[in-house]
Amino acid sequence: MNELKIVGKSINKIDAKDKVDGSAIYPQDIYLENMAFGVTIRSTRPHAFIKVDTKEAGKIDGVLKVFTYKDVPGKNHHGVVLKDHEVFASKKVRRIGDPIAFIVAETKEIAEYAKNFIKVEYEDIPAVFDPEEAMKEDSPKVHDRDNVFYHFKIRRGDVEKAFKECHVIVENVYKVPMVDHAFLQPEAGVAFLDEDGRVVVIASTQYPHFDQEEIAESLGVNKEMVRVLTPAVGGAFGGREDITVQIHLAIAALTLKRPVKTVYSREESFLAHSKRHAMKMYYKTGALKDGTLLALEAKIIGDSGAYASWAMNVLRKSAVHATGPYYIPNVKVDSFAVYTNNPFTGAMRGFGATQVPIAYEQQMDILAEKLGLTPIEIRLKNCFREGSETATGQVLEGFVPLERCIEELKSF
Amino acid sequence: MILKKIEVNINGRDYCLDVEENLRLIDLLRDKLKLTGTKEGCGEGECGACTVIMGGKIVNSCLVLAFQADKSRIITIEGIEEDDVIKNSFIEEGAVQCGFCTPGMVLAAKSLLDKNLNPTEEEIREAISGNLCRCTGYNKIVSAVKKAAKLKRGGDGE
Repeated sequence: MNELKIVGKSINKIDAKDKVDGSAIYPQDIYLENMAFGVTIRSTRPHAFIKVDTKEAGKIDGVLKVFTYKDVPGKNHHGVVLKDHEVFASKKVRRIGDPIAFIVAETKEIAEYAKNFIKVEYEDIPAVFDPEEAMKEDSPKVHDRDNVFYHFKIRRGDVEKAFKECHVIVENVYKVPMVDHAFLQPEAGVAFLDEDGRVVVIASTQYPHFDQEEIAESLGVNKEMVRVLTPAVGGAFGGREDITVQIHLAIAALTLKRPVKTVYSREESFLAHSKRHAMKMYYKTGALKDGTLLALEAKIIGDSGAYASWAMNVLRKSAVHATGPYYIPNVKVDSFAVYTNNPFTGAMRGFGATQVPIAYEQQMDILAEKLGLTPIEIRLKNCFREGSETATGQVLEGFVPLERCIEELKSF
Repeated sequence: MILKKIEVNINGRDYCLDVEENLRLIDLLRDKLKLTGTKEGCGEGECGACTVIMGGKIVNSCLVLAFQADKSRIITIEGIEEDDVIKNSFIEEGAVQCGFCTPGMVLAAKSLLDKNLNPTEEEIREAISGNLCRCTGYNKIVSAVKKAAKLKRGGDGE
């Protein structure tokens, strides 16, 4: 029998040496010959029609070109599921931070200076920041469609009937805010043309193959003409799943036939990438006298902000995890993803499974208190075990060690 | 732009440089000298990724103007020797993930251990409190610094 060389052993991370030496290369560490520098103009209003005048900025000595939606050779859109982001805002902005223009100049200083000469005329339109307001028929529409763009349902047993049989029912509303990943390395990238005329984009990204497709579509070229290279990535946590620098750099490098670099400040990083979904969770949980859970009804509203990103997947996951790791025979869950004029939300560690424990675990504690049980007792009574069936009908086979985990907690 | 002439020793090498008076030390290190191991995470002294040792003390190089470094000795991550105990401990203890905080962390740890080879856990946490890490949760970094301290004292690090 072959002896395992790696499994079961602690091995050093393959790139740790370069990282402790400071020689690991992140995109901001790349300096190329004849490299120009780009800065992004972003909206300062959450919902407005815009008119952009780049003429004055374009005339400044050292400014190579100011790119707007008119300079996108292919499709002026991107997005991991729905193509609802614009590469550059064309008619209206939907949140603070929407990219409007990309100034490319000989140096960063010139590009930054030129920012002062970009004229953006905003015609504010009513905005909506509360997802529940946004769900109403007469609310301002973020896109040319209903703000509710996803509704996921779980139906199991008969919730109405079951609540009548419950000894105790706990009903509460829980709210969790948006969270930023705040990965330590702000977005940065470099793009250039290689000897075969292909556009090469070097960026810290979680999805080089996705980026390749999105860049190619915006450039109007075949995927084969785009290479995406991923150097060291300074943290991501889901926050690098959407496009930020990639398409702007690719368009600039292809148009100017020069290497172009951009580096976001921390402040711009906050404006540029997604957030964790803020959620409002309506929970009604019922149990029998002995603590056995009988019914759950939940409504989960996720604030997607101005763009969908991964909202469908995230809100589906929230619903699937809505019962927590507890067996409940009667379940009714409705989760919604809703557009607002807030920062857009997307992937972040847990992907929707992180928010719902705030609700279902507090429900458990409150139920226990009302029934005169300890938090441990009520959890042991209801926790998933081998063979348990989840609200979505999945039978948990194999290893389900939750009971043991809760038992271990008794001693604390 | 007014230029200022400075003399500075960086990683044991003497430089005589003309620098713009608004140039930050981090830009001198990264853009002009290509010492890119010094990272910029926030540009306002919050994250510590740009930590360097100047005159024996750790500073945020994003908050120091280059001309302020005149007549000083600076150590960046590139100035730490190849087989350094702290660096090796970081690797072995799994204290390195994305790596963007790592150069600053290593220098903050060095600055502590240069003065105190027997730090308590609290002293270690205090010493790296100006350096943010978003990946590790800090525990493995603390273990790495403890291990390095022990090795430097002549123990086996276990």
